[in-house]
Amino acid sequence: MAAREKLNLLKERFGNAIQRADIPAEDRLFVFVDPQSVREICRHVFRHLDARYVISIGADDRPHSGDFLVAHHFAFDEDHLLSSILTRIPADEPAFDSITDEVPAANWAEREIRDLYGLEPRGHRYLKRLVLPDGWPDGVHPLRKDVPFDHVPEGFDPDREFKFDEAPEGCTVVPFGPFHPTLDEPAHFRLYVEGEMVRGCEYRGFMVHRGIEKLAESVLTYNDIPMAAERICGICGCVHNVAYAQSVEGAAALRIPPRAEYIRTIMLELERLHSHLLWVGLACHIVGFDTMFMQAFRIREPVMWIAEKISGNRKTYALCVIGGVRWEITDDLRAELRQVLDQLEKEWRPVVAAVQKDRNLKARTRGVGVADRHLVKDAALLGPVARAAGVDIDARRDHPYAAYDRVEFDVITADGADVWSRVIVRALEVFESIRIIRQCLDRMEPGPLSLDIQDELPVGRMGMSSVEAPRGESHHFVITGENNRPRRWRVRAPTYQNLQGVPAMIKDQQLADMTISLGSIDPCFSCTDRMETIDIRSGAKRVWSQEELKQLARGTRA
Amino acid sequence: MAPSLHFLLFSALKVVIVTVVLLTIVAYTVYVERKVCAFIQDRIGPNRTGPLGLLQPLADAVKAFLKEDFVPGHVRRAYFWLAPAIVMIPSLVTIAVIPFGSVLGREPMVLADLNIGVLFTFAVVSLGVYGIVLAGYAANSKYPFMGGIRSSAQVISYEVAMGLSVVPVFLLTGNLNLGALVEYQSGGLFGWMIFKQPLAFLIFVVAAFAETNRLPFDMPEAEQELAGGYNVEYGSIKFAMFFLAEYANMVAASAMIVTLFLGGWSLPFLGLNQPAATWFAGLIHIGVFLGKMFAVLLVFIWLRWMLPRFRYDQLMDLGWKRFVPLALANVALTAIVLWLQAP
Repeated sequence: MAAREKLNLLKERFGNAIQRADIPAEDRLFVFVDPQSVREICRHVFRHLDARYVISIGADDRPHSGDFLVAHHFAFDEDHLLSSILTRIPADEPAFDSITDEVPAANWAEREIRDLYGLEPRGHRYLKRLVLPDGWPDGVHPLRKDVPFDHVPEGFDPDREFKFDEAPEGCTVVPFGPFHPTLDEPAHFRLYVEGEMVRGCEYRGFMVHRGIEKLAESVLTYNDIPMAAERICGICGCVHNVAYAQSVEGAAALRIPPRAEYIRTIMLELERLHSHLLWVGLACHIVGFDTMFMQAFRIREPVMWIAEKISGNRKTYALCVIGGVRWEITDDLRAELRQVLDQLEKEWRPVVAAVQKDRNLKARTRGVGVADRHLVKDAALLGPVARAAGVDIDARRDHPYAAYDRVEFDVITADGADVWSRVIVRALEVFESIRIIRQCLDRMEPGPLSLDIQDELPVGRMGMSSVEAPRGESHHFVITGENNRPRRWRVRAPTYQNLQGVPAMIKDQQLADMTISLGSIDPCFSCTDRMETIDIRSGAKRVWSQEELKQLARGTRA
Repeated sequence: MAPSLHFLLFSALKVVIVTVVLLTIVAYTVYVERKVCAFIQDRIGPNRTGPLGLLQPLADAVKAFLKEDFVPGHVRRAYFWLAPAIVMIPSLVTIAVIPFGSVLGREPMVLADLNIGVLFTFAVVSLGVYGIVLAGYAANSKYPFMGGIRSSAQVISYEVAMGLSVVPVFLLTGNLNLGALVEYQSGGLFGWMIFKQPLAFLIFVVAAFAETNRLPFDMPEAEQELAGGYNVEYGSIKFAMFFLAEYANMVAASAMIVTLFLGGWSLPFLGLNQPAATWFAGLIHIGVFLGKMFAVLLVFIWLRWMLPRFRYDQLMDLGWKRFVPLALANVALTAIVLWLQAP
């Protein structure tokens, strides 16, 4: 049993520093450790036990135990184990030992904990604000339980500008985003460019952070949250929907009906299909090959139609409730879905063959945006980015959920570690998804779609779930709570980790490769809200605030 | 009528007609591009304005004229105005030396029958880059500036390959006059330069793609990298000038290709390889020239939608490391063959 085995290893080495451990299931491990030793333990787990870093999570447990919680999640992929190393942080001394020096991938997560909980990561070398808006006053930490979910703190200044770092000497700054023709969502990269070569960058994102985690633990209930969760992403929303439901089910030890598991699997794979088809099109668009872009969209469209027939919607399927699913796949739909898959497979084969042979495409993507094994490990890169570097991870196989333990499929890997390998991995994964859906359609038995849950869910339990999104592992963590809602719900979308690898990927390569390198992680950032006008006659500048723009656009005073 | 007055009058008439026809062709090339691209991408293309959307170019022009002519506050104004004007001129001037027909009546169907036609063309075509560089400089912001820099590097590099590629053609003809070149090719199908100098043809065509900033060589615009490049600060009719200049360049390049390599207005059968004796034959010759030109234009358009964009450094490699040596080798080879054949 992997969980107990790992726990014993830790006990042997760290003895008394291990305070308490929970093994709610054989593939889940929660260890409470002494805050003094957390750094050492994480280093051991990450470097010696070779676990994959997942995420670090803060929680405000003061109403219940008087402490804050900080959890570092690690995955033992080969052992099929997800583990959490938790520490209690006393409320009167809100600081914790940073693990970023040992685990570079924890950089953002620790800054986020600092922003949202006001816990200082001791020893973190770059404590710049990450998530909170620039005009947000210091000392107000929105995820603390004593801050209401709709609180606008005194002194909030929506027009405050972000302070950028100094550009290195000899470099010109080229702004990339928040508006750029190939950046479909707002994020800002401040590129340091020397000639046509990119030497580095600074990132400012989280422009559309909507605080839905706070909303969930304040006003939504268990079965509202799946609908909010799937709005996290416009492409792979169902992933969040399922991952959330599974983490709650895991915390409450609920086992959902098999038919519901199959339906979840089918919808997740449908989502991967349309996401990968979209991405291959976008990648071609980015290198200036619009014809492939249009063709990919044409081939993709029937997938959207069948999803609409099943769920009533092209996207945002509203699939899960705690304990099951809401939509049935009837015999008619099964037959039609099979037809869609056949057609898709038939049309996708020649496309993949053409792409694989395209010399220009190779010339543009080979050796570009390289993220090798070491970067994958240190920055905890995920999904196709990791698999393209030969790192064989896939949550569907490593941490099986829904019906993935009952279907056969291959995990596609490549060894180029570049954009080209990512293209190939995604293009081939389409066939695996088709294979999985066909097996599900063959094997699903009639039965109920969801559990009949009458009792309140147990309180104070922890659950976590990893779901392989088209972009990589999406990880959800839940602490169940009172009033039919969780105390804490944390979402770690795959792009959160993959974006942290981008600066290393674009360093010392052509500016022209910036977009395709960024595009190759299939980024999912989540509009900027001011505008500058210049009176040409007088030369006077004026910056319009968000409020003024709203008045202009809507003609009313807010 | 005095000969000088006659010359003046007919030249003016030809200039007006050719310019009007050329601009119409330019406008409809845009239309054809949109239709062909739609066909390749399994879409429909413009189909609302007029039958088959044939009035679309007109509607576009009206729209471009009526849009607010907006000048951003941070630009260098004089250059900002000058750039779109400059960019259009070279392609129009190039057409002046192209023999687009044999004779109509007694009038030769070329605006200016220069003895150094080709040198003139190269001189003028290289001026086209000024418009783009100026636009990039005038915009006074980073993406356009990079577009301008890329463009100057690209055009200068490919100018070299292009110039070298046609040297063998003139080694064969021994004349720089474009009319004489067409005569040289009119002997038969295999008299066409495309068959005598296939390598020169290939290099010239690729260089022409680069010179006209067409995909796969549209580095200066590269929407996905430079957000539109040198023309990003432009709007309304000024933007339309850049847009149309690209197509005018394409037309000019096609006309050059037809004249240099595809036998110009001549066809090797039905006696169409001799200067026209009748008005009717003269019109046919113009038709032949236009037909060939459209065929080349179609290749331009077709290729754009079939290939991904090169990267800037790859483009430079291709130009300097492949084409320039190849073109030089071709010059040497042709010279040696001619020397051996010489009596």
